[in-house]
Amino acid sequence: MQRRRSSRARKQPLHAHHKSQNDLSAWQKGGTIHSEKSLQSHQSANDQKYDSEGESLEQALSYFEKVQDCAALKKKSVPQKHLDAVESTALKHGLPPEGFEILLHVVLSGKFADTVNIRLLKSLIPASVIPEDSVVKAVSWLCVSKCSGNVELLFLKWMITMFDFIDHKEQLHALYGIFFSFLQDERMCPYICHLLYLLTRKEHVKPFRIRRLLELQARMGMQSHLQALLSLYKLFCPEQVTITLPGKMKTYFKNSEGPWKAAITAIRQKNQGPSSLFQTVFLGTAQPQSRKRKWNAQLVIPASSANTNNLEEDREKKCLYLYSTNESFPLEQLHTFPQLLQNIHCLEFPSQMGSVITNPLLLHYMNCVRDESIYLRLYYWMGQMLQEECTWCMVNNPYEEEFKSFLQTVYKAECFLQEGFSACEEFLYKTLPLWDGFCCRSEVLGLLSWIPLSSFSDIKSYLYDPLAQLFFTSSIYFKCSVLESLKELLQNWLNCNAIQVDLESSSLNTTLSGLVNGVAELVRFVGWISTVGLRLENNSTLLLYFTLDFYETVCDMYLKYNLPLLIMLPAGVFYPALLSMDSVNLNQLCYIMYRYRTNLVAAKENELCKKQMLQFKFSDQTYKVYNQYIIAMVGCLWTSSAFQKDIHPQGLRMDDELLSKTAVKELKNSFNIVYHPAMMGYSIQFLQQLCPDDTTFNFRLIKGKKWNWYLEYLYTQGLKGLKVFIESSISRVSQDSWSKAGNVEA
Amino acid sequence: MAVLRPFDKLPTLNSGTLLLVGPDEALRQQLAETILQEKRDFNISIHLATSLPLPSERDHLRPRIDLIVFMIDIKSKYSLKKVECSLAHVDASFFLGKVCFLVTGVGKVNACSIEMNAVCKLGEAYCSPMLFCELELEDTRVATAQRLVRMLRICAGHIPGVSALSFVSLMRKSDDN
Repeated sequence: MQRRRSSRARKQPLHAHHKSQNDLSAWQKGGTIHSEKSLQSHQSANDQKYDSEGESLEQALSYFEKVQDCAALKKKSVPQKHLDAVESTALKHGLPPEGFEILLHVVLSGKFADTVNIRLLKSLIPASVIPEDSVVKAVSWLCVSKCSGNVELLFLKWMITMFDFIDHKEQLHALYGIFFSFLQDERMCPYICHLLYLLTRKEHVKPFRIRRLLELQARMGMQSHLQALLSLYKLFCPEQVTITLPGKMKTYFKNSEGPWKAAITAIRQKNQGPSSLFQTVFLGTAQPQSRKRKWNAQLVIPASSANTNNLEEDREKKCLYLYSTNESFPLEQLHTFPQLLQNIHCLEFPSQMGSVITNPLLLHYMNCVRDESIYLRLYYWMGQMLQEECTWCMVNNPYEEEFKSFLQTVYKAECFLQEGFSACEEFLYKTLPLWDGFCCRSEVLGLLSWIPLSSFSDIKSYLYDPLAQLFFTSSIYFKCSVLESLKELLQNWLNCNAIQVDLESSSLNTTLSGLVNGVAELVRFVGWISTVGLRLENNSTLLLYFTLDFYETVCDMYLKYNLPLLIMLPAGVFYPALLSMDSVNLNQLCYIMYRYRTNLVAAKENELCKKQMLQFKFSDQTYKVYNQYIIAMVGCLWTSSAFQKDIHPQGLRMDDELLSKTAVKELKNSFNIVYHPAMMGYSIQFLQQLCPDDTTFNFRLIKGKKWNWYLEYLYTQGLKGLKVFIESSISRVSQDSWSKAGNVEA
Repeated sequence: MAVLRPFDKLPTLNSGTLLLVGPDEALRQQLAETILQEKRDFNISIHLATSLPLPSERDHLRPRIDLIVFMIDIKSKYSLKKVECSLAHVDASFFLGKVCFLVTGVGKVNACSIEMNAVCKLGEAYCSPMLFCELELEDTRVATAQRLVRMLRICAGHIPGVSALSFVSLMRKSDDN
């Protein structure tokens, strides 16, 4: 039956043995665009070059074809020019689909020496797709074992690398049993395991296969590739695989891409332009976003499940597929949310899991489906991608922009799902110690904020230590960015707790106390680094702003997020904020102290009522520190007594003689919100409005009634934090007595 | 003097001196030039050496060294050996915050010939921070140069309230506590 391959070639039906001039030249001149007009322009531009190369490739292919027909040839020496032609075309443009069958046949039938076979295999790089038939025939040659062991291994590696380029995979799925039988060969075993990993579906998991794998494991010991396959089997059919397997391992399979990777990227680069390294992996989602997508249409593999056909194919072909169960909805047609809802029972995930992360509909689906295998597949794919494409770990990779956009995509997917991927988490733990703090900074810090909270106690050494070292040695902007992402991390952890009412269903299995401990450690860590950071940056306003922003989340943990945890801000943050030179930070500090008060009071009330058995008792130390801070704050802002009354060990207390040496007149009235350096600007403006023609700024005027006016003025200037603080923490004697006292003083 | 001591000379006003020790001359030179291009408000002088001990003839001309940076190339076992030999010529009190190891070549993880573990152990044994970078890329070089300038500023005592020792103790692994 005639198979239609890619839509590009639909005008020339491909017959395997018809190597007519037309096919190849049509391929060359057809270029990569459908329309006739572009055909011509393409043709005129590259005619000469293509023609000469095409001809030599044609000659080479026809030579190889003839060779395979002469069965009697043994170890014949291949004309160098044919080999060169194949290699050069492959490396420059990739080989046409027709070439694969011939070349695979030649390689695996063992007619030529190993060196020739290896060279040919290394140049089997597709320009577009690889026809499935050629691979199936190649596998049948593999069974006959006419070629040497090395060539067989290289062929398997090739198959694994080029797996996504094979246009259909139904027959390959049907050959599962054959591949499985190769497992007994020890050398081939790792690669076969990898291949089976890519091919396995639920129907392939049979008890006799599980037993075989267990036997192999008993014979060869715990190999990571066997484990990977067993884990996948276990995910599909947990009741049949009863052994316990260790948790997720870092990498299961060795990277087999080596010989072809550079060539593939070069060709992709050439055909598509720079920014599409990852597009071949992603499902052509909804609408093609730009013209670039259409141009790549040839290299975008319809990364969909085997049941999805090329839309032009006949629908009735489905009955031929032995393993198709229900008709499943073709993923390329999934464009809208109502479609998702209608077809949610018959959707299958694509075989290339990576395409999920750009497709919001599939992400929705992933959220609802309780299938561990998809997480495993996604985990494996993402881990591999992150490790291979990481720009600061692989300096040969010039595609920093693409890696950045990949990280951004992953970050967006995490924001959409509202949870982090464990592959990302491991990637961060592995590469943070090696990170220089510069490459892809905002993307990495974004991913940092989605690290899931777990009872994993080594988070300290994997995350906090390298982050601290980077924090202390990097610029102020880096410090601010880190504080911001740590704030988001905290919020994500708190939100997770708020959402997950039923903690048993959480995959992390964290108990409340685990959550409390994790959050407490994070808050203490931030308190420590921000104290040091402020010291290093000389109490910079910007850094202080970000620090107080973090504590704005911390102070409300009890009431807003319902977490029984109260942590005060450290003195190294409080005092610089209290004595800061700008009003924004002072205002923020006032608001934070107000929220602390509300939370502490509520906590105390709950404790005193003893309504429920309290698991967490707040230490008196927290209240003590709060009281000390309040004394200092009120002293600084209201009663001018901060320097005398502050009892905090790291506070502002000064001896009287020292205070008198400052030569400040009227010590008892000179340290409040009128004279505070941050508020000076406001008091001057106020005085200007009060007495427009008075050029000597007599701050003594602000008292009594005018004090109240001053407060009102401050509130209108947007100092809401100050307002709530004063109203909550400062109890004033009644208005009348104040004004009387005010008049008396004047 | 065979051994470098941190406090045997008086400091010069508003300046910091950096000593870069490492067998790869080109990389050293590049890094030094990048450092000197950084915007700063104090004078920086950089001394380059392939290994220690420094030649003693010019010792009296040399200013007090505030920070020693040992450059280790992760692709060559030779650089690690050289650095280990040079470490013997540095007085113990230098390691109270005035030494740092710079590990280059982390970009080519496949070409690593020394174990990451060995390098980290070295850092822990000498209580000095380990910075990783890939100096062949310009942007990373600039970022690393900025970090070194910040460390130099602290080691030369220009930041009030933060000494080299307190700084380095901040960066120790927390499981030492």
